[in-house]
Amino acid sequence: MIRMAALFALSGVAILADTRPAPRVVELPGKSPLVTIRLVFTTGAASDPSDQPGLAHLTAELLGGGGTKDRTYKQILDAMYPMATSVSVYSDKEMTTFVGDTHVDNLDRFYAIMRDMVLNPGWRADDFTRVRDDAVNELRVSLRGNNDEELGKEELYNIIYSGRPYGHENLGTVTALNKMTVADLRDFYQRHYTQANLIIGLAGGYPPDFAARVKKDFASLPAGEPDAFSFAAPAKIERNRATLIDKDTRSVAWSLGFPIDVKRGDPDFAALLVMQSWLGQHRASSGRLFQRMREVRGLNYGDYAYIEYFPRGMYQFEPAPNLGRHQQIFQIWVRPVEPPNAGFALRLALFELNRLVKDGMTQQDFESTRSFLGKYVNVLMKTKSAELGYAIDSVYYGIPDYNEYVKTSLAKLTLADVNRAIRKHLRADRLQIVGVTKDAEKLKAELTGDAATPIHYNSPKPHDILDEDKIVEKWPLNLSAADVTVVPVDSVFEN
Amino acid sequence: MSQTTLIAALILGAASLLSGAGKIFPYAYVQEDLPNGLRLITIPTDYPNIVSVYIVVGTGSRNEIEPGKSGFAHLFEHLMFRGTPEFSPQKYQASLNEAGASSNAFTTDDFTAYHTTFSKEDLPRILSMEADRFQHLAYDEPAFKTETRAVLGEYNKNSANPLSKLREVLRATAFTTHTYSHTTMGFIADVEAMPSEYDYSRQFFDRYYRPEYTTIIVAGDVDPKRVRALVDERWSTWKRGGYQAQIPAEPPQNGPRTAHVDWPSPTLPWIAIAYRGPAYTDDTADTVALDAIARLGFDENSPLYQKLVIEEQKVDALRASPPTHIDPELFSVLVRVKNPADLDAVQQQVAATAQDFAVQPVDAAKLEALKAHLRYEFALSLDNSEAVAQTVAEYVALRRTPETANRYYDMYEKLTAQDIQKAAQKYLVERNRTTVTLTSTAVTGGAK
Repeated sequence: MIRMAALFALSGVAILADTRPAPRVVELPGKSPLVTIRLVFTTGAASDPSDQPGLAHLTAELLGGGGTKDRTYKQILDAMYPMATSVSVYSDKEMTTFVGDTHVDNLDRFYAIMRDMVLNPGWRADDFTRVRDDAVNELRVSLRGNNDEELGKEELYNIIYSGRPYGHENLGTVTALNKMTVADLRDFYQRHYTQANLIIGLAGGYPPDFAARVKKDFASLPAGEPDAFSFAAPAKIERNRATLIDKDTRSVAWSLGFPIDVKRGDPDFAALLVMQSWLGQHRASSGRLFQRMREVRGLNYGDYAYIEYFPRGMYQFEPAPNLGRHQQIFQIWVRPVEPPNAGFALRLALFELNRLVKDGMTQQDFESTRSFLGKYVNVLMKTKSAELGYAIDSVYYGIPDYNEYVKTSLAKLTLADVNRAIRKHLRADRLQIVGVTKDAEKLKAELTGDAATPIHYNSPKPHDILDEDKIVEKWPLNLSAADVTVVPVDSVFEN
Repeated sequence: MSQTTLIAALILGAASLLSGAGKIFPYAYVQEDLPNGLRLITIPTDYPNIVSVYIVVGTGSRNEIEPGKSGFAHLFEHLMFRGTPEFSPQKYQASLNEAGASSNAFTTDDFTAYHTTFSKEDLPRILSMEADRFQHLAYDEPAFKTETRAVLGEYNKNSANPLSKLREVLRATAFTTHTYSHTTMGFIADVEAMPSEYDYSRQFFDRYYRPEYTTIIVAGDVDPKRVRALVDERWSTWKRGGYQAQIPAEPPQNGPRTAHVDWPSPTLPWIAIAYRGPAYTDDTADTVALDAIARLGFDENSPLYQKLVIEEQKVDALRASPPTHIDPELFSVLVRVKNPADLDAVQQQVAATAQDFAVQPVDAAKLEALKAHLRYEFALSLDNSEAVAQTVAEYVALRRTPETANRYYDMYEKLTAQDIQKAAQKYLVERNRTTVTLTSTAVTGGAK
């Protein structure tokens, strides 16, 4: 399932010029008594060695969840407790982030611990065993066992990027994790935790000399070279194909999508942002998919669309910053549906996508969505910590402050731009589909057979909906038996 | 005529929290009641541009007193998005869009909250739309039935997580009579039967969606006088109701109870150990004492956490929560065990840790460290206007005023080792205990 092929292959994506002074510092000083420190290393799972998927993630987890040279992890927890602080760690393909918030009363004590976690790790064997167990359990129990939706979404990425540096779960595989040693982590740390990879972010009411102190401390890291994220685009998807993950579960979760050649900072980004918001603004009831699938038909709890990676979407309303990526996919997330409606729900999502690609958006939809996004960007920045995260991302993508970037780009945008971008970047065929379901073989037979998959209602529906249903229930999926792979859930993330 | 209470509690923004002097809630707020019983709380914060509105309705799954009607408060939260004669769901949504608003709702055992966060210039629009749906909600039976399927979809998406089932069984075992015997989601049989309960849904609205059950919290870049004028304009015509739910009291528990859940797919074993506790109070030390036990006994720096999670590595999740409900609820501890063979031993250690607080007085230095932790935790949680409104909403749900937070933390500042010991002796006893275990019937697949 998870393979790592030749890294850094062939022609790739151009990256920011690398003539930067290191480490870079992003500052958002203010009067609040709260201070946020974000340390972002531009390294991650895309830099994992091909035979060690999960190494970047585990290294970060040991730094953030283990002791330092001077303190055991227990001593760190004891010291943090009266301050009500902690250091959270997030690691993705190209970014690894350590973030902590503290009251300014405790800034010096808190910073000293956080600094040592990153600069002077303890590399203790018992900490390593614990964080490795946590990673294995995250894969086997939390993702595979308890969260069908995230399982499907993550596997969608892994399949699309199969054979590429993005083509494995950030957490790695169970087999690879079980082979890793502390020495492997130390080696990764020495090569990738460098000044060249570091962006320091500070926000809030810290004293005037604080930034200089932090910068001086982190100048003790090796200078290094920035990680290169220039690699081949994912393999072309020639026709629709589906992977059905078979597990004992109540309902069917769908995720589907394909790679797009657009990321933050690219000319069509704002146009696709408008499209995404109109089709499926995350956790809002305004999106077209939500309206047609949940509001009109009661199919499930929600249906959304994405043009940037958005993990943990079931737990949060706004995306987390510091998940910068040079490659993105377009994705539709269909929340769990009752098994008898699974085929219909998938067809309806494709039917709506097809309508969007064919007809585009209307002037009225365009204007209201643009108005929404121009204000919603304020909501994204509602905390200083988020504002700081976005500012760091802007450095990474080489764009202005995100709020200004979005507002300026939207102001210049026309309906014609959006519809042209939709035609250029979207399609309603050649999709990768992932389903998490019980009786996967039965669902496979349904998806590949000729019979219609009608929806089952519990209340009368208007004629226009029933008429549309007649088309949707037979919407061509163009899936042959060879296009649909059934995998037992126990095999996912295993090797 | 309105009753206005002006409470000045402003602490300067950069105040130190090294000592516990002064009120914990750092913002001045205005609390006022309209003649119809609606309460308005306005909190100007120093975060610019954004306003967050939380509307708290004093009904939750606690109010689902009729058999077969569990899950209705939550279903109703969904129905509130089904439109009015003036605002169809589409028009309501379009208006929220124009405001760039982030809007949603949630239901708990004791209350339902509707929240919207947006740019300050849209305040009149939002307050007016909310006034309209709270007074003139109108949905027909087909729309009702469709929404019941979305609720079933929500049950389904939660059902992949064994914790949902564990909570369900814990509630059903610990309570025989009170409505806390079901979760907010409701029993699955009731959720599946919801489509035929249209008439009951109208009755539910008529009972609880009334001004005397409702508190509007407006936090952010706002002027209280202007907010009051907007609320007077659109909300003063709302009619007071007269319904009072008779919530059945739970009889005392007379001995330990146990239950077990077989989980069909691979998972690590879970244990829930709960003790029947008191109703929320800030008049006595009971609630804060049990909160202190939850933290001192089970937080990351507690001896048990350090032993089971960090040293022996037998457990990978351990957390406790005190009862903070309107009626007596549970002090509960949740544990995930890595190896099924350790289940019994871990279970015994958790129960012994909780019950030992009745015997051993807590260390004074640890109690002081906890008090510092609380002051900083509270300050750090108020990092934006939405968080301020949400925090206030949780205290308002208990006592209908932000002053509840100040009273709670004042009580905490005064908390002694003796108070903690007394609370443990009263509540954390075997007679009050319910234990639920959950294990996989499939091959267990965690780290070895």
